[in-house]
Amino acid sequence: MPADTTYLAHHFESLEKQTHAARLGMWLFLATEVLLFTALFAGYGVYRFLYGDAFRAASHGLETWIGAVNTIVLVTSSFTVAMGLERATRGDGRGTRLLFGVSFLLALVFLGFKYVEYAHHFQAGELPGRFYTGEHVQGPGGPIFFALYFLITGLHGIHVVIGMTVLAVIGWRAGRGAFTAEYHVPVELAGLYWHLVDLIWIFVFPLIYLI
Amino acid sequence: MNPSLAHGEVPVWNPRNYLNSPETGLRSWLLTRDHKRIGVMFLVATTIAFALGGFFALLIRLELLTPGPTIMDAGTYNRMFTLHGVVMIFLFMIPAIPSGFGNFLIPLMIGAKDVAFPRLNLLSFYLYLAGAAVALYGMVQGGADTGWTFYTPYSTTTITKVVPVLLGAFIIGFSSILTGLNFIVTTHTMRAPGLHWTRLPLFVWSIYATSVIQILATPVLGMSLLLVAIEHAFGWGIFDPARGGDPVLFQHFFWFYSHPAVYIMVLPAMAVISEVVCAFSRKNIFGYKAVAYSSLGIAFVGFFTWGHHMFTSGQSAFNGGVFGVLSMFVGIFTAIKVFNWTATLYKGSILFATPFAYFVGFLFFLVFGGMTGIALATVSLDVHWHDTYFIVAHFHFIMVGSTMMAFLAALHYWFPKITGKRLPEGWGLVAAVMIILGFNFTFIPQFLLGNMGMPRRYFAYPEKFWALNVASTAGASVLALGLVVVLVYTLFALRWGPVAGANPWNSRGFEWNTPSPPPPENYEITPVYTHGPHEYDQPDTALPPTASPEPKHAS
Amino acid sequence: MAEHASHAQHPAHHSHVPRYVAVWIALIVLTVGTWLASKVHLPGALHVTVALVIAIAKGALVALFFMHLWDQTGPSRLVFVTSLVFVALLIGLTMADYATRFPLANPPGSEGALPAPDYAPPSSARTH
Repeated sequence: MPADTTYLAHHFESLEKQTHAARLGMWLFLATEVLLFTALFAGYGVYRFLYGDAFRAASHGLETWIGAVNTIVLVTSSFTVAMGLERATRGDGRGTRLLFGVSFLLALVFLGFKYVEYAHHFQAGELPGRFYTGEHVQGPGGPIFFALYFLITGLHGIHVVIGMTVLAVIGWRAGRGAFTAEYHVPVELAGLYWHLVDLIWIFVFPLIYLI
Repeated sequence: MNPSLAHGEVPVWNPRNYLNSPETGLRSWLLTRDHKRIGVMFLVATTIAFALGGFFALLIRLELLTPGPTIMDAGTYNRMFTLHGVVMIFLFMIPAIPSGFGNFLIPLMIGAKDVAFPRLNLLSFYLYLAGAAVALYGMVQGGADTGWTFYTPYSTTTITKVVPVLLGAFIIGFSSILTGLNFIVTTHTMRAPGLHWTRLPLFVWSIYATSVIQILATPVLGMSLLLVAIEHAFGWGIFDPARGGDPVLFQHFFWFYSHPAVYIMVLPAMAVISEVVCAFSRKNIFGYKAVAYSSLGIAFVGFFTWGHHMFTSGQSAFNGGVFGVLSMFVGIFTAIKVFNWTATLYKGSILFATPFAYFVGFLFFLVFGGMTGIALATVSLDVHWHDTYFIVAHFHFIMVGSTMMAFLAALHYWFPKITGKRLPEGWGLVAAVMIILGFNFTFIPQFLLGNMGMPRRYFAYPEKFWALNVASTAGASVLALGLVVVLVYTLFALRWGPVAGANPWNSRGFEWNTPSPPPPENYEITPVYTHGPHEYDQPDTALPPTASPEPKHAS
Repeated sequence: MAEHASHAQHPAHHSHVPRYVAVWIALIVLTVGTWLASKVHLPGALHVTVALVIAIAKGALVALFFMHLWDQTGPSRLVFVTSLVFVALLIGLTMADYATRFPLANPPGSEGALPAPDYAPPSSARTH
C-alpha cells in the first residue's frame, strides 16, 4: 500500500512493528515523567506529615473553586483529545485538528486561571522559602508549602505548555492530511502525553487544594 | 594461535563497512543514524572523559603522598575529588558500556538493522556532549567542592560553581534515559525471527535490565539536582534546616537514583563478562535462565536499598533496619551470576587471551568488593566504616576492579569486530598484569586505612596513615601506566594493526556472524535464528543459515 | 498479515465515542464528589484516604480508557504498572523515615520536634 511505504522506516520490518515500538517508547517516556513528579510528591508527603496544621491552613487559603474548575477544564480537554484521536482513526484529519484546537484553548483557560492564582499569591506574599511574607500561616510550614506548591504546579504548567505545543503541531499536521485511518501514530502519541498531563493534575488537585 | 587461521583462511577486512559507507566525511558522522557510528563516538567521548577523571585521580593520589599539603591546598583538593567523582560517574561509568558497546552490539546481536529510534540515539549522544560541556564549563570556572554527592546544606550554600556541574549532570541524565528507552523498545520489537527471549544473548538481557533502571531512576536524580540548583539560586528552603527543611530529604532523593545507578554501572559489566566467559572457555553458559533473570533481579531489588548510604545520616532506625536487610538480598543475585560464570569455566577449553585475563581480575574483585558490600550493609559495622576509606575501597573494587576491567575486556574482545583489526596479545597481557597488580596495590591499602579510621575526602591525615597512602599512590601509578600502555597500543593498532577477519576468536556470539567491520545495514538478509548464542556443544555448521560471514565486495 | 492490519484499524470499526463520553461524565462527577467530600470534616487519615481513593479512580479511568490501556495488551500496561510500584516505593519508604524517627530528630517546627525559631524575616544562610 502506498501509505505503508511512506510511513515505514527502513529499519522496521512492518508498519505494525513500528507502531508498536512507537507506542512502547512513548509509554516508557511517560514512566520517566511520572517518576519526575514523584520526587516532588514525596517531598510534599514528607512535609505534609511534618507540618500538618500549617499545610492545612495554607491549603485552605487557596481558591479551591479555581482548582476545581481547572480540573474540569483539563478533564474536558482530555476528552476532546480522545475524540480527536477517534476522528483520526476514521481518517478525518480536519476533525482531529478542530478537536485538538479545542483542547489547546481549554489548556489556555487552565493557564489563565493559574496566572490569576499566581498573581494573587504574589500580592499576598505567599511565596516560597525566604520570600514568604504572608501572615496566614505561622512557622516554617507556610514557606515550605508554597515552595512545593510553586514547584509542583510550575513543573506541571511547563508540561501543559509542552503538551499544548505538541497538540498544536500534530493537530496542524492532521489538518493538512498528514495522517490516514491506517497510520496516525503521532496523533495517538500526542494524546498519550496530554492524558498524562491531565493524570498528574488529577492528583495535584486533591493533594494541594483539598486536604 | 588464531583458530580461524588454522583452517588456512586469510582474514579479510570488509571493504564496504559502516566506517566508509554510505558516506564519509565529518558531516556524515555528525548527522549519522547508524548505531555503530554512534556507539563508536560514545566510546571515543567516554574514553576521553575517563582520561580526564583519571587525571583528577592522579592529582588526588599525589596530594595524599604526604600527610600535609603536597601539591595543592584544601579547597582545591575538595574540588579535585568532586570533579573526579562527577566525571568518572556521569561521563564515563554510566554511559561507557551501554551507550558505547551496547549501541554497537545490540542490533547486531538480535539480527536487526538498527535500534528502534536512530534519531533519538543521535540526540542522546548530543545531550551527552552538551551535558559534558556544561559541566566542563563549571570545572573551568573552578568547579564544585561538594563531593559528587552534592549533599545539602553545603551544596545549596557553597560559593563554588556548583550550578553548572549540577545542570551538566542533569542534561546527561536525559542522554541516559533516551539510551535506556531505545534499548528496551529495540529488544521488545526488533528481534529477528526465531530469537525468543530465551535465546537472547545474555549481553542483551543485562543491558535490558540496565535500561529499566535508567528509565525509572534517572528522573528522580534529575529532580534532586534541579532542586539543589533552585535552592542554591533562589533559597526556597526545602532542604534548609533554618527554614524548616530537612537536608536528609535530599539524601533520600539522591540515593534513590544513585544506588540503582551503581547497578547501571555494574550490570553492563556483567553483560560483557557473560559473553567473554562463554567465548573464552568455548562452553555454553551454565544456567542461562539464572543469569538472565538475575539481571532483572538486581535491577529491581537494587531500588529497595538506597538507605544503606544513610545509616549515619539521622534516618530512622526503622528505615535503617529495613534497608540493611534488603541490601543483603541484592547480593544474592550477584552471587548467582558468579557461581554460574565459574561453573561455565569447568571443563571448558580455556583460551587465556587478554579478555580472559580481565575476566579473571573482574571475578576476584567483584567477589571481594561484593563481600565488603554485604559487610557494609550491616548497620552496626557501617557506623564504624561510613565515610572512611573502607567505603572508598569498596566502591572502587566494584567500579574499577569490575566495571573498568569489564570495559577493557570488552575493548579487547570486540575491537576486531568494531575496527576489523587486532590488538597485540603480548602487550595486552602485559598491560592486564600491570593493571591488575596496580589495582591491588592501590585499593587494598585503602581497606586497611579505612578500617584504621582514616576518613574519606580528607586533605590531611595523621602520620600513622602515611605508609599505606604511599603504597596506594605507588599502586595507582602502576595502574595508570598500564592504562597508558593500553591506550598506546590501541591507537597503534587502529592504524597498523593486523587484519582480524570476521571472527578471530571463533566465538559463537551472534554479532560475529557479520564481516569485520560490519556493513552499514548489518545484515543484508534478516537472519532466522534456530538456537541460542554460545552453543559450543553443537557442531560448527549450526549457524543462522541466511547470514553470510563472507564480505560482500562493493560493486 | 490481515489479522494484524485489522488490529490497527480496530478502533475504526468499533466507535469509542460512547465510552469516552461516559468516562468524561464520570470524571466530572468524581471531581465534584471529591470537592464535596473535602467539605465534610473527616478525621485526618480518613480525609486523605478518601481524596486519594477518588483520585486513583479518576486516574484509572484516564489511563484505562483515554490512554487505551484497557484494550491494549503487551508491555505498555507492564510499564505503567511498574512505574506505579516505584512511585509507591519512593513516597512510602521516604515518609516512613520521618514517621518512625525519634521525633526530636525531625526538623524544628514539626510535630513532636523542637519548636521553630523565629521566622520573620529569615536572613539568607549563604556564605556570599
